[in-house]
Amino acid sequence: MTEASIGADRGVALRLANVRRTFKELVVIDDLTLDVAAGEFLAILGPSGCGKSTLLRVIARLNLPDHGTLDVVPSNTKFQTAYVFQEAHLLPWLTVLENAALPLELTGVSQPERLKRASRVLAEVGLSEAESRYPSQLSGGMRMRVSLARALVTEPRLLLLDEPLAALDEITRFRLDVRLRDLWIERGMTVVFVTHSITEAAFLANRAVVLTRRGCRIKLDRSLALPTVRDNELRVSAAFADEMKRLLGAMEEEG
Amino acid sequence: MHLARRSFLKVMPVAGLLAACGGKASKIRLALNWKPDPEFGGFYAADFAKHGLDVEILPGGAGTPTVQMIGAGSAEFGIVAADEVLMAREKGNDVVAIFAVFQNNPMGIMAHASRKLKSIEDVLKSGTLAIQSGLPYAKLLKKKFGFDHVKVVPSTGGDLTAFLGDENFAQQCFLMDEPLHAKRKGVEVTVFPVSDIGYNPYTTVLAVSGSMLSKSPDMAKNMVNAVREGWRTYQDNPAATNERMHTLNPTIELANYGETAAAQRGLIESNPLGKMTKERWDTLAAQLKDLGDITQAPPADQCFRDL
Amino acid sequence: MNIRKAIPAAIPFVVVTLSLEWLVRAGWIKAFLVPPPSAVFQTMWRDWPELFAALAKTSTGAILGFVLSAIAGIAFAIFLSSSRAIQEAFYPYAVFFQTVPIIAIAPLLVIWFGYGMRTVVAAAFIVSIFPVIANTLDGILSTDPALRDLFRLYGASPATTLWKLRVPAALPQILTGLRIAGGLAVIGAIVGEFIGGQGLGSVIDIARTQQRTDKVFAAVLLASVLGLVLFGLINILSRLVLRNWHVSEQN
Repeated sequence: MTEASIGADRGVALRLANVRRTFKELVVIDDLTLDVAAGEFLAILGPSGCGKSTLLRVIARLNLPDHGTLDVVPSNTKFQTAYVFQEAHLLPWLTVLENAALPLELTGVSQPERLKRASRVLAEVGLSEAESRYPSQLSGGMRMRVSLARALVTEPRLLLLDEPLAALDEITRFRLDVRLRDLWIERGMTVVFVTHSITEAAFLANRAVVLTRRGCRIKLDRSLALPTVRDNELRVSAAFADEMKRLLGAMEEEG
Repeated sequence: MHLARRSFLKVMPVAGLLAACGGKASKIRLALNWKPDPEFGGFYAADFAKHGLDVEILPGGAGTPTVQMIGAGSAEFGIVAADEVLMAREKGNDVVAIFAVFQNNPMGIMAHASRKLKSIEDVLKSGTLAIQSGLPYAKLLKKKFGFDHVKVVPSTGGDLTAFLGDENFAQQCFLMDEPLHAKRKGVEVTVFPVSDIGYNPYTTVLAVSGSMLSKSPDMAKNMVNAVREGWRTYQDNPAATNERMHTLNPTIELANYGETAAAQRGLIESNPLGKMTKERWDTLAAQLKDLGDITQAPPADQCFRDL
Repeated sequence: MNIRKAIPAAIPFVVVTLSLEWLVRAGWIKAFLVPPPSAVFQTMWRDWPELFAALAKTSTGAILGFVLSAIAGIAFAIFLSSSRAIQEAFYPYAVFFQTVPIIAIAPLLVIWFGYGMRTVVAAAFIVSIFPVIANTLDGILSTDPALRDLFRLYGASPATTLWKLRVPAALPQILTGLRIAGGLAVIGAIVGEFIGGQGLGSVIDIARTQQRTDKVFAAVLLASVLGLVLFGLINILSRLVLRNWHVSEQN
């Protein structure tokens, strides 16, 4: 199984052309052109405040660009996008199971069906035992996993993540990194995530794009020379260190 | 610094004594139990300076607790009703009456003239009656005639909206006030004075605390003299004082001040003005004891003083 | 558990009561201005049938007024939340309920609702509705933007977002509004009773004209108890409704 074949039929391709978005006086995204292949696991790296979260919201169509176009191919599948926020943002009055089932509830799936599907996806993130608990009874890591399960429950073809593991401790983060990669291999959707952590970008992605401090212009666009199947051992390998160096170099560069 | 403080401490009690003696430049507060209107005309007409007094008149309103203010010392003099004096004294509040403006109780019950009622008893046979049911006269009414056939509701505090809108609505009033007001609004009224049922306490009574009376008898006497003169002036010629009160309380039209002053004159006139008798006080005490408002009828000479 | 929690709150009350008793007996405070607590309790005991009947009436008026303002207040706030234009057009009228001096319009209430319970309920309603509206609206409008994005992402209609997200998310604030409204409803009921007759308000008004400050204080004390009970009931409701929201007190 090559990386290219993963998700060719289960992901979507993105085409951003000359996208521009301003916020009051500031040009947040300045004439960005970017192609994302179906099934790609793309990391968008940049310093805090460079506009990468805005870029992600534009891809999610939560905000519209002032200029330029965003094309999603194929465009016919409904509700194919899922979004994972920086914080879990669960509904405190719903159980873990109900929270995971929420997207299906909003898209009109019957209760027995949606709870069944939610249960399945919660098992994939290892939370079967916590189904009837409430968010207030969970740790930060568990809540993040519910958020991830919620994102996966509609079997999205495009998964967007906004620095989702930043608030977690390192051990939990490493564990979830591996889980996320495995889920991507199993399901084959296109994943675009935004981060300021070089380690995370290098570990998770098969392609990394480094943005400038202002204006979201691409400083570096690199396919990472790392194996498809990854575990935490990779973090101490020479190949990993090499990619890190490259990414670090790009991040530290002026502009 | 040290010296200054010691001499300051010496000055303090002397200043206090001077104030207590009613010496120069100590402000005397007279607390009214309603807003400025003709029932207080004589007080506003009085020339206090002529009698060596620096008096500040404090207007009141609904529920101003003048009898407690005298007891607490927040006013040197206050306007109260005679029955209030008796009830206060029983509670340990040493207030003493020294001048009664209204020789006859101006309180009454007014009803629409169209009902052709002949007496207070008739008013209690039907319709609605708005009174302050805690007042002694109200309890007397209930005792004498019973409230079984009339709907008793709280007093409207001078507001005539309900009265004007409902023919069967009767209410407590001051003889020289609300009835004239109703007439101006086009409703003819019949007024039954409360004194008709035999309840006739002195009203709009000037009172002072017993301790102040013994400490500064001259000040109290000067006060009574000033007030007596003021009321004489107001009885004979109220116009100028009415204008003055009108600026203080413009809610009443100037012309209405004149009408009310004229209507109340008879209830006030007496020789001398403001005089009180032992018999009237004894009668009142007996009535209040009978109604259960006081447990003991005090001797009249404790309740009022002829200065 | 509940009794133990009440002890720290009861201490100041006991201290003040005992101090007041001593101060009045010693003559530092005149009894006709502030009655000694013993006189107040005596009056409560002696006049209990009358006071209890009055308390029952005031409670009925306050609770009815409160329930009405809870329902109408939440409904009105939901209506206001539907658009900025609607807020700008109608919110000022809500503020009217906050600022109108109830004493001034009470004679009008009597004209419209007559003497008795209806005026009392109306007064309690008018005085207590604004905090419900303000807090509910604030809660609905301050929904977590990320959650609003989530709902938008899955194509939820504004109505779905309102009933499945914004209103449930506003529950803590709604309950805060209700907590405030409870006490105000008691005040409103008593003012309504000054004008409309019956209940503790009437007891206070009549006792006042008779210089029975002991009875006034007894009635006021009972009114405070009523306010506290309402507050406590809403707290219980809050704990029930929000029991899963917060980290439970675990060791």
